Amino acid sequence: MNEREREEIKRLLKEFVPAAGQTELGRDLWPTMLKRLEQQPIRMPWWDWALLAGVTVLFCLFPGMIPALLYHL
Amino acid sequence: MNKHPYLRAYLAGIAVPTVFLLIVMSAYTIIRYVYAVPLPIERIIVFPMAAVPNAWGLWNVLYSAFLVKRHFSLGLFGGALPLLLAPGGYVVTRLLGFTIPDHVLAVAPFALPVGLVIYYLVWKYFVGFLNAELGIA
Repeated sequence: MNEREREEIKRLLKEFVPAAGQTELGRDLWPTMLKRLEQQPIRMPWWDWALLAGVTVLFCLFPGMIPALLYHL
Repeated sequence: MNKHPYLRAYLAGIAVPTVFLLIVMSAYTIIRYVYAVPLPIERIIVFPMAAVPNAWGLWNVLYSAFLVKRHFSLGLFGGALPLLLAPGGYVVTRLLGFTIPDHVLAVAPFALPVGLVIYYLVWKYFVGFLNAELGIA
């Protein structure tokens, strides 16, 4: 390997491994993290709970409808 | 996340029934082959396997194309889908000569409103969550 080839390899390595010296992030991730933490968890209103309860009761009363519903889901 | 919004809507729509289908198929297979229930379910299985997930995907594409900007309720829109699927499923059973058991037919008047409620809840919470994650709604 002559001097010219050695320089070429050095140049290529510097070109393709640039991030090794860059330890800082490109942007601050903390505001995004705070925004995510501040998001409200999914809350179900009472009428959705009532619907869910009604459906559960109907399933218990009429189990014959379960195959028909599974067919359409 | 600005590219291909309809593709993302389609994928968000088919995700829920595709996952649920695995459970339904397992249950049907056990009922049919383990407990030897004399129902030729494989004759009509094409409807839940192919038509339903695609209908969900296309329904969500319609929602994202026309209704998301008007802030129309996803739950109500998704809850209306059984009004198409129920007659479609019934037509498939008739065309393929599948005899619906009497005890299933007897509860059909209750099954439709229950289906509407289930679809409303699933679309509101599950599909809505996926839409939000994929930046659709």
